[in-house]
Amino acid sequence: MRPFTYARAGDEAAAIRAVSSGGRGTRFLAGGTTLYDLMKLGAEAPERLVDISALPGLASFDTAGPRELVFGAGARMSDVAADSRLVAEYPALSESLWKAASQQLRNMASLGGNLLQRTRCAYFRGGEPFACNKRTPGSGCAAREGIDRGHAVLGGSEACIATYPGDWAVALVAFDAVVDVAGPNGARTIPLQALHREPGTTPEVETSLARDEMILRIRVPATPLGRASTYHKIRDRESYAFALASAAVALWMEGDVVREARIALGGLATRPWRAQEAEAGLVGRPLTLEAARAAGEAALRNARPGHHNAFRIELGTRTVAEALLIAQRRA
Amino acid sequence: MSDMPYPDALRVDAFDKVRGVQRYAADNARPGLAHAVLATATIARGTVRRIDAAAARAVPGVRLVLTHEELNGLKPPGFLMGGGYGFQSIQPITSPHIAYRGQPIALVVADNLEAAAEGARLIRADYAAEPHQVTLDAPEADIVAQADSPLPKPMFADVKAGEADAAYAAAAIRIEADFRHPPQHQNPIEMLSTVAEWRDGHLTVHEGTQNAEAIRHGLARQLGIEPERITVLSPSAGGGFGQKNSLQAHTVLAAEAARRLERPVKLVVTRAQIFHDSSFRPASRHRIRLGADTAGRMVALIHETDSQTSRHDLFPTQYTELSARLYGIAGFRGRERLVRTDVQTPGYMRAPYEHPAAFAVECCVDELAYRLGRDPVALRLANDTTADPITGQPYSSRYLAECLRRGAARFGWDRRSMEPGSMRAEDGSLMGWGVAIGAYKAATAAAIARLRLSADGAVTFSVGVHEMGQGIRTAIFAVLVRRLGVEPGRITLEIGSTGTTPQHLTAGSWGTATAIPAAEEVCDALLRALETLPSRLSLAERLRAAGRPYLEVEVSRRAPGQPEAVMGRLTSGLPAAMGPAYPGYVSFSHVAHFVEVRVEPSTRRIRVPRVVSVADCGRVISPRTAASQLRGGVIWGIGAALREVSEVDVRYGGFLNADLAEYVLPVHADIGTIDVEFVDAPDPRLNAAGVKGLGEVSMVGVAPAIANAVHHATGRRLRALPIRVEDLL
Repeated sequence: MRPFTYARAGDEAAAIRAVSSGGRGTRFLAGGTTLYDLMKLGAEAPERLVDISALPGLASFDTAGPRELVFGAGARMSDVAADSRLVAEYPALSESLWKAASQQLRNMASLGGNLLQRTRCAYFRGGEPFACNKRTPGSGCAAREGIDRGHAVLGGSEACIATYPGDWAVALVAFDAVVDVAGPNGARTIPLQALHREPGTTPEVETSLARDEMILRIRVPATPLGRASTYHKIRDRESYAFALASAAVALWMEGDVVREARIALGGLATRPWRAQEAEAGLVGRPLTLEAARAAGEAALRNARPGHHNAFRIELGTRTVAEALLIAQRRA
Repeated sequence: MSDMPYPDALRVDAFDKVRGVQRYAADNARPGLAHAVLATATIARGTVRRIDAAAARAVPGVRLVLTHEELNGLKPPGFLMGGGYGFQSIQPITSPHIAYRGQPIALVVADNLEAAAEGARLIRADYAAEPHQVTLDAPEADIVAQADSPLPKPMFADVKAGEADAAYAAAAIRIEADFRHPPQHQNPIEMLSTVAEWRDGHLTVHEGTQNAEAIRHGLARQLGIEPERITVLSPSAGGGFGQKNSLQAHTVLAAEAARRLERPVKLVVTRAQIFHDSSFRPASRHRIRLGADTAGRMVALIHETDSQTSRHDLFPTQYTELSARLYGIAGFRGRERLVRTDVQTPGYMRAPYEHPAAFAVECCVDELAYRLGRDPVALRLANDTTADPITGQPYSSRYLAECLRRGAARFGWDRRSMEPGSMRAEDGSLMGWGVAIGAYKAATAAAIARLRLSADGAVTFSVGVHEMGQGIRTAIFAVLVRRLGVEPGRITLEIGSTGTTPQHLTAGSWGTATAIPAAEEVCDALLRALETLPSRLSLAERLRAAGRPYLEVEVSRRAPGQPEAVMGRLTSGLPAAMGPAYPGYVSFSHVAHFVEVRVEPSTRRIRVPRVVSVADCGRVISPRTAASQLRGGVIWGIGAALREVSEVDVRYGGFLNADLAEYVLPVHADIGTIDVEFVDAPDPRLNAAGVKGLGEVSMVGVAPAIANAVHHATGRRLRALPIRVEDLL
């Protein structure tokens, strides 16, 4: 393990100052469930860690507000997943947390840190001898001609096809969430949709956050789409596995007719993937089996298969369709 | 005594385990302990041209770096299947040759784990890479027919009975199919870990193992010292499943580092390294040709296999020892070949031959049932046998039909409709019911057992057997309590550690059939020794009456028909087991599995909500741990059939998904009801206790029962494992 220094920040401003002035090798540390793992693998090698896991106020969350739900970035995944109002009014948000990782990890992991979870691509995690543009820019991508069963069919590039592994961000994207961040130059608000970047030619740059910007909270506009929602996750086992395909969907039904729909895909793309074209195709029509299937097809229309992952295009299509029917039953 | 069933009793180490009291080698954290970490090769085959350890040596806290330049005097351990002690013949870090990706190239030892890990990361090697092959399908692969190889015969000769090819050609119904099994890794939760310490020229090794005696004698060979100067302590291993059946490559490195540093050294092989530094289940492919007459009598079975081995060792296979004996088929021909690949030598992962062989054969038998329009249970019952088709000898006991009948009744098999896709669950899922049988040789090893009764009533018992979590301590307690009438709290077991009785390899499901008869015999010897004293007194009172502080008895026991010379193998740490063929009879344990699968209609996920398994392992000594063994075997079968695969990228060699997040073992949420039952009929011909093995047979047949159930649900025959969601979309 490479030597690093560790300091616990007293408040948000001090944490930001410490990371900003610390230089390139300085990183925020929250739950540590991703960062420590990647440090052991050598995929991350910070020189200084600034621990924000005990900052006062960062762990609170409020799901009762009339206009929006507010989640402190330091709230634990397990605490938020179990929130009874979230379970009843926004099941997709709760399910996306329940279906992630294991109970032990959810007890440690923070909501803000979870958004920034890095890919499970084995070539990225494995290090030598694998080529990985994300790990060593310009070295190439071993996955493109390799075992790509779990790799992205949407949003990939020549340089990288690593899947964004998270669940929570996928559900948030469906609900038009925003994140409040603060940095040395002040605070700003970013739509979650704009937080993650597609790899393009710079797969090592994964988000639009500056290194010294810290996620303070996540806000979700209150919406009538909450109740008829689900996070449907298909994986190789029934718990403790990343998605082969997942769909966060939410519906606002008027009788049998869809008034508004939200669809986001997980496990299939290089970033949380909102499928707005598929949503639009549902609006103003009854949600039939055929309509659900058509929405799934629309969501995956631009998917590009690799060597071993073509099945996930069909699986994703069916996952979206099934999720829509689950959500409909909750309307 | 074998006519009396044993009552249910608690697992003797259960409370220690759930409270974390049980200590394993890696829990050892004494002051002064040095920590060692391995650095491993990044090429799949070739030579280390130059190794640079300067940066590693410069890390504060690093005390020692060992590379092949330092260790070239260390001797190889010899291969377990070639008269040696190691899981493979080569000893890493003793030469610049690289045989596989992940092979250790250096050991870094430091005052703390962090410095050792950092040092290992900083080891730099220049390689001269050579072309490599890592799969069965590699072009121009080096394929060795076992029958023509130097492997000992008749043990590894092709199995034959009758005229299989002619019978197959003439058969009215012929089934021909190819099956594939991927490489898989055992992944016991206790990782390979060793603490080695020297005191006054004596080496003590703390390591969870199935074979303490092989570690002792193998290390003696490698280090060039007398075995008497080595003690190996393994009172409890955290799972083995065949991975810990021999001397591992890392053990001598820890011992050598401890010797050089003159302080104890702990070496824990990381999970990713374990995928490359110890044995695994090799990839295999199976071609089956099964012939039957129109009445449903199976007349011919031809089973041809290709199985992965390493470039440096021939890990032999015995797939057909099992497939030849599942049914009474007069014409059988096996042919087993080995494919050399650039990997560490594969080995014995739970039911190593029997699980893949049963998968291939039992899927074909199901197919035959459908060709005949015959119920799969009825077809199996009609092809049962009382004589071993290979030797013509009788079975010492064979309750396979009983397993099938009881299992069918318990499962409710008579409510099954034959037509694929004809059954639906309440939630709309396709429901499939499948059956398959399994068998596993009832082997026995030579053993020495020693029993000491003290005048205060304490009993100390030692025999050659290891506790890996299977429950052998609980089984031995049951026998001592029944035979001697002592309280469990007065019993001390000395097993798994050298320095008592010879600690022979515990594997191949021979642990119970080896230790329990020996325990009974030594109890009887003690009782006979006390017979002259008044019987109304307790054992301890009799001892006190005779003025004796203690009484110690010892028995030496061989498997039926084993020559006296086998005791020499036993005491020198070499395998000393035999079976299934004994003089005058053949012994197998049997099992029948009934599986319900549900295939979700939309995304085609396969779930296994219900399994019923009935096993015949002779007399059940410890009902509690036996039931746990059987359930555990079923879970292994579910993992093997639907989840587990060690992924190989042919460009790089080695294994890609080398951690427990990506190597997909079943989790609790994947497991439904597993209802188990035992025939519990003693096999007195094999031994007086009437016991046969259970651990391995539990898994045999689960995978084909699942595949057959998937066929029943969907009409699809899937012949490559694991069966995953993409196979049904």
